[in-house]
Amino acid sequence: MTTRYLEPKNFAEVFTHLGKLYRDHGPLGFLKIAWNLGHEPTPAGAMWKFGLILLTLTFGFSFIMLATVGHASFNTSSDGVNWGMPIATYAFFALMSSGLTMIAALPMVFGFKQFYPIAKRAIWLSIVTLIAGFAVLAMELGHPFRMLWTIPTGLQVMSPMFWMGVFYTIDLILLFIKFYLLWKDDWDSGVSHLVGALGFGAVILASGMLGLVFGSMVMRPMWYGSFTSIFFMLTAALTGAAAIVLAVYMSFGFKREAMPEPLKSMAEGDELPKVFATLIGITLVMVLTRMWTGLWSNLDGLEGFKALFQSPLFHFQVWICFALPFYLMLNRETNRGVMWQVISSVLVLLGMAINRYEFIVGGQLVPMFKGNWVNSLNAYTPSITEWALTLMGWGLAFALYALGERLFKLHAVPGEPRVIR
Amino acid sequence: MAKWGMVIDLEKCTGCQACTIACGMENNRLPGEHWQDVIFFTEGKYPNTQIKWFPRPCMHCENPSCVAVCPTRATYKTEEGFVLVDWNRCIGCKYCMIACPYGVRFYTEEKAAYGGPNVKDVFPAEDKHSWNPPWKMPDSQEDWKHGVGVQPHDVVSKCTFCHHRVSKAPKGTADLDPSDPKLREYTPACVVTCAPGARFFGDLDNPESEVNRLIANKNGARLLDHLGNKPQVYYLTGEGGAVPSGRALKKS
Ligand code: SF4
Ligand code: SF4
Repeated sequence: MTTRYLEPKNFAEVFTHLGKLYRDHGPLGFLKIAWNLGHEPTPAGAMWKFGLILLTLTFGFSFIMLATVGHASFNTSSDGVNWGMPIATYAFFALMSSGLTMIAALPMVFGFKQFYPIAKRAIWLSIVTLIAGFAVLAMELGHPFRMLWTIPTGLQVMSPMFWMGVFYTIDLILLFIKFYLLWKDDWDSGVSHLVGALGFGAVILASGMLGLVFGSMVMRPMWYGSFTSIFFMLTAALTGAAAIVLAVYMSFGFKREAMPEPLKSMAEGDELPKVFATLIGITLVMVLTRMWTGLWSNLDGLEGFKALFQSPLFHFQVWICFALPFYLMLNRETNRGVMWQVISSVLVLLGMAINRYEFIVGGQLVPMFKGNWVNSLNAYTPSITEWALTLMGWGLAFALYALGERLFKLHAVPGEPRVIR
Repeated sequence: MAKWGMVIDLEKCTGCQACTIACGMENNRLPGEHWQDVIFFTEGKYPNTQIKWFPRPCMHCENPSCVAVCPTRATYKTEEGFVLVDWNRCIGCKYCMIACPYGVRFYTEEKAAYGGPNVKDVFPAEDKHSWNPPWKMPDSQEDWKHGVGVQPHDVVSKCTFCHHRVSKAPKGTADLDPSDPKLREYTPACVVTCAPGARFFGDLDNPESEVNRLIANKNGARLLDHLGNKPQVYYLTGEGGAVPSGRALKKS
């Protein structure tokens, strides 16, 4: 017998329910239910366990490393690559979050109502991935807590990083408000529309400012230029699209039959693959134009492009992670198949992760003024601690997503009863 | 108000690295973490090759990109032209290291530069400092607001133009000439120690200063000037030296 779950009305209800579970089942029984995220196994429960284990291991390891060895456990260095894999991971998650908000804006701001069934889920995922990104960033910074008073009191308006912080903070607050409104089934009021529109604006600015952090660096020509902000915004949209496709399927055990009606017909329709293919195509063109401009130009400081072009990772990214899904999502034979959609989204996410890493680390390959002390391109391989931080981001995202899946009706559309399943 | 600047005569510089050592002693630097360094680089292909060298402190830029990017204002420029890091404010985001075109900034938490032994482990600190050097500047000189002293954990450090010396110079001084016994203790350590006298330090705002005269008469040039940072360190190239125009990376 499967239990029917109702979406709680408010947090008081959540805690009352948890209290009741505790009283009815005792501490051990309660823990078992918490561990399963319910009475019987669900896809959300599996994600939750996976996320929790990954999070505990990676957080535990990196915490111990940071407490004992400190940030010297990173493979970054003053003479070489200053920003390593954790920063690439932060950018990956922050931009994924921005992209998810853009996807949610399709129905909520731009009136493409056919995408309503993924809007609430996209907002939740956007919150979750932004938190994951911030968590990784906090572990990377030398003094994360000091930031809380030095940035507001410093007000360095010249710094792109300052504005990135401002707009991502606004973004996070608006996301919370929007999600709260959707939870209250308020999809169409003036306030709800306003919050949605402001959120979209904030996210464009936030991803644009993250682009500016790199794009304003004239001394690092591999990053320099207005292209960087545009690249970040558009690839954010692709990352968000891939994330929502994968997340939807994961929540229903990769089975379309398990999906409730409006979501199912959306997943079966041809608009989703069309949007997906368009975004992949745009990304592919941008990645290639950036590369050939870099390869052809003679400016001092662009030598890293040659190294990037020679790396197998770049070609894996372009051909396997972008070109192949592009084909799969265009081809009528494959673009509606569950398996092909899942494979495409996994590949695109992998490709974007590689791309962020390549963009950020690759942009620092040419050493600054070091002469023969550093007479070739900088070498960098992430350390185990840096890997752990990256996986920690994933663990956190998985666990929080599963929690949301269990707690809220993420596939809700306007004016539906609160039955989750 | 003075605007301090430096002139380095590349015709006189012998590449002896005495300035690097003096700076390390003065400012408690770790081996390999040179606020002031002499960069060696090669040019040309065999059989026509040259080895060149080039002393490189922080340029204390007029338009410092490191100051602009610092989200906390931990890095700031004073009215006298020093670009400094406030170690009480720095959050260790390393954006300034990304943004400095001259690569003169250092993060505390790093692996030993020469592959070990890690002197920080050999001389560990029991307080908030990142290590406890066997020889160090008097505690009274330590000044974290200006990035002077033994570095604390997880912050960025850089050449201070010997702020703890220069800021005490008598007002109105045009040049800090180390051969003048009265001015010697206010002169940056690298300038004092330079045996061939290749380094000059003075007030760039004072039309009478020796540094201004040298820049004007001997075509003082600035490193990577096209980037717009406008260094306050000038190089005299004369017949014997050259300011590298690029990053001296071997093209393959
Ligand atoms: S040389 Fe670098 S650290 Fe020094 S002032 Fe200029 S930009 Fe800042
Ligand atoms: S590392 Fe410190 S000094 Fe450098 S930009 Fe960040 S807060 Fe400013």
